[in-house]
Amino acid sequence: MSNILRLIWFDLKPELKPPVWIVMEWAVFLIQVGVYGTMISQLVTGIGNYSQFFAVGLVIMITFDMGSHVGRHFVEHAHEGRLPYLLSLPISRSKLFLTITLQGGTELALMLAVPLTVTLLIIGNLTWISVFACVLTLFLLGFGIAGLMLALSFIAFKSSDLYTAIVTGLSTIIIRFSTVLYPFIFLPPQYASVAAFSPLTYGSDLIRFFLGFDPSLLLNPYYAVSVVAALAVSTLGLGTFLVQRLVEGVKSA
Amino acid sequence: MKEVWVILAIARNDFSYFFRTKWLMAVLLSLSLSDMLVVALVYKRMMTFDYFSYFVPAVIVMGLFTASMDTGRRIWLALREGVIQYELSLPVSTQGLVIAYLLAGGAAALVYAGSLMAIALIVLPANAIWSALLLLPFLFVLAMGLAGIAATLAAVASTHGEFFFAFQNIVQVVMLVLSTVYYPIDVVQKFLPPPLVAVVAANPLSLAAEALRQYAFVGTPIEPLFLAKILLASIPFTIVGALAYLGALHRLQIKGKL
Repeated sequence: MSNILRLIWFDLKPELKPPVWIVMEWAVFLIQVGVYGTMISQLVTGIGNYSQFFAVGLVIMITFDMGSHVGRHFVEHAHEGRLPYLLSLPISRSKLFLTITLQGGTELALMLAVPLTVTLLIIGNLTWISVFACVLTLFLLGFGIAGLMLALSFIAFKSSDLYTAIVTGLSTIIIRFSTVLYPFIFLPPQYASVAAFSPLTYGSDLIRFFLGFDPSLLLNPYYAVSVVAALAVSTLGLGTFLVQRLVEGVKSA
Repeated sequence: MKEVWVILAIARNDFSYFFRTKWLMAVLLSLSLSDMLVVALVYKRMMTFDYFSYFVPAVIVMGLFTASMDTGRRIWLALREGVIQYELSLPVSTQGLVIAYLLAGGAAALVYAGSLMAIALIVLPANAIWSALLLLPFLFVLAMGLAGIAATLAAVASTHGEFFFAFQNIVQVVMLVLSTVYYPIDVVQKFLPPPLVAVVAANPLSLAAEALRQYAFVGTPIEPLFLAKILLASIPFTIVGALAYLGALHRLQIKGKL
């Protein structure tokens, strides 16, 4: 366990000294919720309190960014020759995978600390169970997205430039064609059919369900639980397979 | 005269680098097109007023802004990777080098915003296409001003990448939320104190978005005074950016590093 913790700290240290990215993410969240969220909710008439809906959307976007960051980080390690070093360490592949996962989880927890607290305070009137279910869903979603990006990382072994282009372009599309920023019922039919394939649609609706949003604006929570759990389990399984079997000797181009 | 050709050659090189960066193009295009064709359309269904007509012209300005801000990343990369040392060895003055970067930043942003404008003209009928074309030179000056902001951030952050990208992110968010890009000024007046409302009204992004909405898409005759306002709001940023970058280059020449 101490090896795992040491490796996590080894990777986290550069990001915490100084914690520029974390503070920046918190500041951007507060500005967006405080100014943009307040103003745009005056224009939105289809939902009672859009600023609350938007705050939850931002929290999901941060989770998504962190998940995809873990995948990109893995590719960068391969590109910079750090991955072969990690593979040469006297720890098993499963422990290495656990390290990557826990590091992603720790970064996500740090990034979400302020945004999630502020969002829960804005919404108010919550139970411990709903808060716990919300946090659990966010982490499952984060792990699922990280696994998805790890799966895509094999494009990077052909061309890291192409990988970055695909992942960054895809990230925007996945967010926009989902219910992160708007409820499913307001999507035009052709967009709704695309949004039905986005994991963020189910993740965001499930979190909003736990936080007490109007269920008529959300998808069926049973479907959402199934999709989020399936995404996390399948992509984490895929990640374990990739780290154990396929990364040996590969080098990002 | 010879120096002008060198400046143009450096500017052309930087200009083509912008369009050759695949991930950047993927980010910019996916952001702008999804804002225009997805976000604007869905928000319209959630509001009682025509948000699509309001937001589509603003997406052009947002594209211009984001593309201009990339000038800072290219300046920061040149400083970090030592490309600037090579460029300083060219037969060009430091002022010439600064002008080349700002010109390239402005031109790249204008070409990118121009392509967005072409798409916007397809999805949202414009009543005065000539007015849209007349606005292009003013958008170029605005892009140079925004590139100036990016140059200032790059010069301040010098080789510390994490600071540069953090500054850039915060400046982008602040400038966008404190503008009328997303919401009309009457909504802003209800919530922000008068000094901040004045900042929102004077923000060059607000001015450019309003000019595009009114002159190109609604078809109101162009008011020269309004165009002068865009110039007045943009030129100071260009000057500040040029001076900051020039200062950084002078420090580099004296100390050999930043």
